[in-house]
Amino acid sequence: MAASAPPPAGGFLLRRSEWALLAAIVVAVAITALVDANHSYWFQPLASLRDIARSTAMLGMFALGAAVVIIAGGIDLSAGSMIALSTTACASTMLALAPTEMVGFKPVGGAVVAAGCLASLLAGFLVGTLHAWLITAVRLPPFIATLATLVGLRSLARALATSTTAALLPTKNSQINVYDPMFKFVRDNVWIPVAVFGLLAFVTWLLLTRTVLGRHVHALGGNEQAARLAGIRTDNVKWFAYCYAAMTAALAGLFYVANESVAAPANQARGHELNAIAAAVVGGCSLSGGIGTVPGTVLGTVFLRVVIDAVSKVIKTESEIYEGLIVGVVVVLAVTFSQVGPMARGGRRLLPGALGLCAIPTLALLAGGVVAMTAAPRAGLAAGLLALVLLAALKVWEDRQAAAARTA
Amino acid sequence: MSVAPAEHAPVDAAIVMQGITKRFPGVVALDEVSLEVRRGELLAVCGENGAGKSTLMRILSGVHRPDAGRLEIHGRPARFTGPRDAERAGVAIIHQELNLVEDLSVAANVFLGRERRTRLGLIDDAAMESETGRLLEMLECRVSPRAAAGSLRVGDQQLVEIAKALSLDASILVMDEPTSALTEAESARLERTIRRLRERGTTILYISHKMDEVFRLADRITVLRDGRHVCTVERSATTPSGITGLMVGREIAGHSFHEPRSRGPRLLAVRRLTLPWPEHPRGYRLSDVSLDLHAGEIVGVAGLMGAGRTELLETIFGVSPSNWTGEILLGDRSVRFDHPSQARAAGIALVTEDRKRLGLFPDLDVAGNVSLCSLDRASRSGFLSRAREEDLVAGPIRDTGVKTPGPHAAITGLSGGNQQKCIIGRWLLTEPRILLLDDPTRGIDVGAKAELYVLIDRLCRRGMGVLLTSSELPELLTLSDRILVLAEGRLTAEFVRGEATEHEILEAATG
Repeated sequence: MAASAPPPAGGFLLRRSEWALLAAIVVAVAITALVDANHSYWFQPLASLRDIARSTAMLGMFALGAAVVIIAGGIDLSAGSMIALSTTACASTMLALAPTEMVGFKPVGGAVVAAGCLASLLAGFLVGTLHAWLITAVRLPPFIATLATLVGLRSLARALATSTTAALLPTKNSQINVYDPMFKFVRDNVWIPVAVFGLLAFVTWLLLTRTVLGRHVHALGGNEQAARLAGIRTDNVKWFAYCYAAMTAALAGLFYVANESVAAPANQARGHELNAIAAAVVGGCSLSGGIGTVPGTVLGTVFLRVVIDAVSKVIKTESEIYEGLIVGVVVVLAVTFSQVGPMARGGRRLLPGALGLCAIPTLALLAGGVVAMTAAPRAGLAAGLLALVLLAALKVWEDRQAAAARTA
Repeated sequence: MSVAPAEHAPVDAAIVMQGITKRFPGVVALDEVSLEVRRGELLAVCGENGAGKSTLMRILSGVHRPDAGRLEIHGRPARFTGPRDAERAGVAIIHQELNLVEDLSVAANVFLGRERRTRLGLIDDAAMESETGRLLEMLECRVSPRAAAGSLRVGDQQLVEIAKALSLDASILVMDEPTSALTEAESARLERTIRRLRERGTTILYISHKMDEVFRLADRITVLRDGRHVCTVERSATTPSGITGLMVGREIAGHSFHEPRSRGPRLLAVRRLTLPWPEHPRGYRLSDVSLDLHAGEIVGVAGLMGAGRTELLETIFGVSPSNWTGEILLGDRSVRFDHPSQARAAGIALVTEDRKRLGLFPDLDVAGNVSLCSLDRASRSGFLSRAREEDLVAGPIRDTGVKTPGPHAAITGLSGGNQQKCIIGRWLLTEPRILLLDDPTRGIDVGAKAELYVLIDRLCRRGMGVLLTSSELPELLTLSDRILVLAEGRLTAEFVRGEATEHEILEAATG
């Protein structure tokens, strides 16, 4: 379907890896429905769907932005902080324009809300421009430039919240509450973020596969020097890509405000930039650039959120502790599985030499520990031993294969 | 029953290859090649670019694994899974592209991965430096073991690679076109080194297409062509022109490049172009270069590696930073491009030297690669139309004779020659008046090369002006109306077609 899709990855409507991801989503949902002791997927299907849809839509918005930057051969680590800046910019603007209503829990009016939203998107554009400037003019590596803003923007957002409240309210505050009914309406109607996400996905897909700019994004990510030598204004394409990433994060920030009724820059969306990158990577985007699709990124986001939801259903208490672990494991597994084919053909080994030997207990300990902490200590011991035996068998098999290849 | 002695069980063979085959997507690089290198001899392997010499070498060095065939080193079957394995078996390779870590010292490079240590386990720089100094002295190389490898001249860097091979006590040395970047004095020094190594009993596999060198050094000569072993002969039993004939193997038939092309108005003039190079002792990449290019004319630019050929084309095209002085005239208009897009708009096209690194988009399909510079013609208000794009690329794909399963095939599945035709097709779509070709047939097999010659000649007859660089003199002699020679950034000679010989050009190029 993608005009620039290399045929080997092709398939009907979706690429083969994307069909596999879709199947994985179905399997994950089915397993959760069976394993969950409360059977909430059976008894409250709508509520469960609403939860997953909301979280998917909010993560998906800036995952699309992350995908565009990654396909263009860059990386944007700053999305989480950009969201914090976006929520603060929106709330601060509203507070400045309608301080009495904001404090008195009264509706602030459509014009003020619109101004707040515009301020957020403008902040996104400015941050994207800053990134592009740092990367193309100052020549910082994208990783460094956006690492600096990852740290810096959150701080800036906190300072902004504190100084706005200090100037406009009797007491200064590190967060700004937002009670406007319009935001409440968005919070209570899940279809709105889902529709916005859907629209954004469609626009991004159109952009990447059907426009000249999208082709230039692919070309830039695939071979930057060649793109420049072909006469593509690569600096402008980068400017677009980083603005797209920052502005999708700013857009997502508005839904964070609606969802949490507050702009709380200290902790809002902290670490979520990595979830967005993970979703894009699980969806098939290559961090070396040039490769990736919108359907893949959307499916990657859904898969990530479904698995996180599954764990919260199964573990129940304090499941958010495990969120990071799950994201990490999902990313490793997804990327590993996409490499199984080339690995087997290239004669590469999963557990080579001494490193492989040390990796076996590491992995077994990890598996056993997680199971022990989430289920029961005895189950953990069993899982750890099982992993140890399986990995050792794999190692022995690989060593034999290698020895056979050497003597053949 | 006349069976060549080489076919019998080798008594004293350093390397035996039997039926070695290596395929890459779209091309058979080596097709059942069998050859044998006797212990202590110097076997020269000759062949044009794309004949399979480099693939053969990468198999010997463990970079590639053959798809079929057997390799024996000193009578033992060898299956290298990496360069380390090859080193362990006593095979050392001097690559054409040198493999030095530029920021490390000469001594550190020589012992990279096998660092000497003191009794405490710390790195023993003193021992490595004195050992390296001894080796360099033997090689007549007057550089400090402490100098950064990147600061050395190419000729000295090559000797550092040889020092590395010596420190390995390699019994087999494989050299891939070692003199391609050397001055004559450096080449002579290298030849003395080679003779000294042979006195020590080192077996040498010497890959080259320079006949004079080969005939001075070799005991026997093997000719490869299109991935096949053509023959192996004693040096005394053949002549340079005999070997050259075997290398080429076929005439470029049915097309005469010598039919005069009609020369049109002047398209491009370069006047006293100087491109500074502040961080280099020479101070400039190009100095005081002037040239003219007319419509319907092919001007060849000859020069060794680092002579400034690529820099010249890139400066005209607006790739390099615009800190050059002098004047570039397009017609009568003085121009100074800051970005390739401006040069493209002005009717100039540049087909870059390093196809993989600077030309190809591996993630785009054939159509995407061809249409990239002319997407405005395949789109309406920024939106691409698949049908229009297919229509657009059909012309250049037919025109340049690209063999592809279809416009949406993967570009990486095409052979080098077809990839290059796609890139030329990309630029033809921009309807250029001036075509800059930077070593356009590098790494392309002989047949495709001939097709490209025909294509370039045809484009020129349509009224394009072509500025062509090449690392192969026969190519320049075949195609060019005039040949300019660059040596270390300066123009040293200009020849008109028919006047120039390879020998004269080489002399001017080594300055």
